[in-house]
Amino acid sequence: MAKLAELTFWTATISGGLRLATPLIFASLGETIAQRAGVLNIGLEGYMIIGALTSLYVTVESGIAVGLLAGALSGAVLALLMVWLCVRLNANQVVVGFGLTILGVGLTGYIFRLTTPLGAERRQVNILGEIRIPGLSDIPFLGEAFLSNSWMTWLAFGLVPVVWWLAQRTVFGLEVRAVGEDPDAAFARGVDVIRVRSLATLLSGLLGGLGGAAITTALVGVFEPAITAGRGFIALIVIIMVRWSAWGVAVGSFAFGLADALGANLRNIVSDSVPTEALQTIPFLVALIILIIGARRARMPKSLGFNYVPDR
Amino acid sequence: MSTDAGPEVAFEARGVSRSFGATRALDTVDFDLRSGEIHALVGENGAGKTTLAKITAGALRPDSGTLRLFGEPYDPRRRSDGSAAGVAHVRQQLSLVRGLTVAQNIELGRPRALGGTGWRPWPRAFNARAARAEVERLAAELDLAVPADELVDDLPLAVRQQAEILISLAWGARLLILDEPSSALGPLETDALVALCLRLRDEGTPIIYISHRLPELARLADRLTVLRQGKVVTAGRDVHDADLRRIAELMIGDITLLDVERPALAPGEVRLDADGLRVAAEHGPGLRDVSLRVRAGEIVGVVGVAGNGQDELAGVLTGQLRPDAGTVCVDETDVTGSPAAAVGAGVALLPEDRTAGLAADFSLAENLIARRVADPQFARLGVRLTKAVQRHARALAERFDVRPPEPALRAGSLSGGNQQKLMAAREMERDPAVLVAAGPTKGLDPHAGRAIRDRCFEAAGRGGAVVIISADLDEVAELAQRVVVLSGGRVTDRFGVEEMTSARLGAVMAGLAWDPAGEGLE
Repeated sequence: MAKLAELTFWTATISGGLRLATPLIFASLGETIAQRAGVLNIGLEGYMIIGALTSLYVTVESGIAVGLLAGALSGAVLALLMVWLCVRLNANQVVVGFGLTILGVGLTGYIFRLTTPLGAERRQVNILGEIRIPGLSDIPFLGEAFLSNSWMTWLAFGLVPVVWWLAQRTVFGLEVRAVGEDPDAAFARGVDVIRVRSLATLLSGLLGGLGGAAITTALVGVFEPAITAGRGFIALIVIIMVRWSAWGVAVGSFAFGLADALGANLRNIVSDSVPTEALQTIPFLVALIILIIGARRARMPKSLGFNYVPDR
Repeated sequence: MSTDAGPEVAFEARGVSRSFGATRALDTVDFDLRSGEIHALVGENGAGKTTLAKITAGALRPDSGTLRLFGEPYDPRRRSDGSAAGVAHVRQQLSLVRGLTVAQNIELGRPRALGGTGWRPWPRAFNARAARAEVERLAAELDLAVPADELVDDLPLAVRQQAEILISLAWGARLLILDEPSSALGPLETDALVALCLRLRDEGTPIIYISHRLPELARLADRLTVLRQGKVVTAGRDVHDADLRRIAELMIGDITLLDVERPALAPGEVRLDADGLRVAAEHGPGLRDVSLRVRAGEIVGVVGVAGNGQDELAGVLTGQLRPDAGTVCVDETDVTGSPAAAVGAGVALLPEDRTAGLAADFSLAENLIARRVADPQFARLGVRLTKAVQRHARALAERFDVRPPEPALRAGSLSGGNQQKLMAAREMERDPAVLVAAGPTKGLDPHAGRAIRDRCFEAAGRGGAVVIISADLDEVAELAQRVVVLSGGRVTDRFGVEEMTSARLGAVMAGLAWDPAGEGLE
């Protein structure tokens, strides 16, 4: 227990939390846009895992930059199915979403088995290095904890204001909100509802795939079947908790990442006096309370999950 | 106002027809709108006014016929083509997007020709300040109090309407179509609307104004065209010379008192006594001091154009809506504002919207016991007695001629007529003290309509007080002995069915006072 008072424990936990938040941020940022447009991508887990596999395999062959791009695109390819089936053909979003998750997990497991020698459990690459900010990252505790991050983590947090700008300060953002709130009225105003929803869904696929790529290339450097371990679903929870706000996604993802890291680190040091499980719940509770109090005003997109069928 | 070249034509439709399935919504219609005029398009519900408006705006394509806009051939394929050409259609259900502000709505879907969005690879920043400035500038020019930064949801209907007109102008509208713009406005708001329309006309924007409120048109319109059942009955008549009473009569058409076999009904004691009902409604006029007394064995028809307080009246009479003032008594028991008390006193309702009266995904049997699920006949210790329920359902369905009388069938799978019979079976299983039926035979084939009509007669014959609320005059003519006209939330006329003439009804329904001598307007 004494270790809890040590600074190094918290440094490790916080930087671990940021690392673990990275895939969640990518996935939830894209999904925030899609949900604001009224499309519920329950297949987010599928986009992530297919991005995880693709990016790792391509990175081995062609390097990290091409790998990440391929990961993002592979997520978008799966999202294209979502666009076709739900946005265009009006299939049920929940059913197709679960189908895409199952498809993604199954397909990647299958490809992995086909391409991996018998007996091997995983595929490895070198994970991306850290970027440290000269001077600042050397500040005791704060610098070590917050400012010594992987590349992908910087990229993820860097995307937050971009997505915020896209959602709040562009005409596309207006259209996205309009088709998610009131597609009939948006159509009557002259907005191409199907196009906006399709683009938003593809964006969710791109960023979902990138989130998956972040796991294999930035977090663990390994692919194994079911590596995403439900993070796509966690991302969906984050979005609801922070009520479709880009900045909220950063905070909410970090809260979950922190809880993850704390749980992992506590397991190493905890004494017999406190059950591990009890300790693990504390950050969740704290995160929940903060988020519930902090993000009350935003509201759910009115047409989330409902397909748009023009009445003509 | 005529020049040497004659008045310039802003919009012209020639021989326009459009069908929906077997229904001919428009039948070779000719229509023209001159620059600098307000042209009223009047007619009953379903006369084809909105279809013509949609065709003008590009939201619908005609099956045949040609259009010209400001002298040019005009063939819009979609709504955005219409708005790009300068035609703005302000619909009854306004089309501002909720969840956004007025300033955001002004940018949304702006036609590309006017600096709006088209496809481009990079997202374009939304200039909130410029949009706000544009709203504020136009609001000042038009003398409207439209706030730029409030969410559309928070604005009153009249302001939302003004905002939509304002946005149309910002988008470069050269022609406005206003579809029933005053139907949900109060008198002061209507005055403001009339003033705005006159001003826009004088500043050069011609307006097609759809309405059936003749007094308002007399203040506003230059010419009017009457549609009835998809055909032009009167084309481009000068409003100031027209006899509005005659126009009202034309709107309604002929009322035929069909030879319905009416059972001889002898009214008994007063069973339904509604007194001094007042309801303030968010949209529409609500109820303004309505009293209604119906005797045992009597059928009273409440007629009027939809949206003049009918829904509120049905709600209050059945206890589902608590009036702001007034009482509803059934057999001298006060049931005001209590659905449970109303049901207990024997009030039955056939709502106009069948989806509101039936659970479409439930079986016939479940729908038939919906009012009595806890009845010991159907449940013991909270467990449903399936056999008893099924037996009951089959017997009742057969008695009311629901086809097929299969207890396990989904209610939603029945035809409209059989759904109506199913609802009637549940509501009239025990002779109701009061039956409130809204448009009971609406949309039914003759056979099913006859069956429902007979049920209404039967309810009255067994001593029930029956109220038929309907916009369909034929329906009322067939069923009712007495007629009450509801207009603007008030009862404006009462008479026996034998005095029901199209001239009288047309006048009172359109809001004109009825004066048999025919001397001028109200």
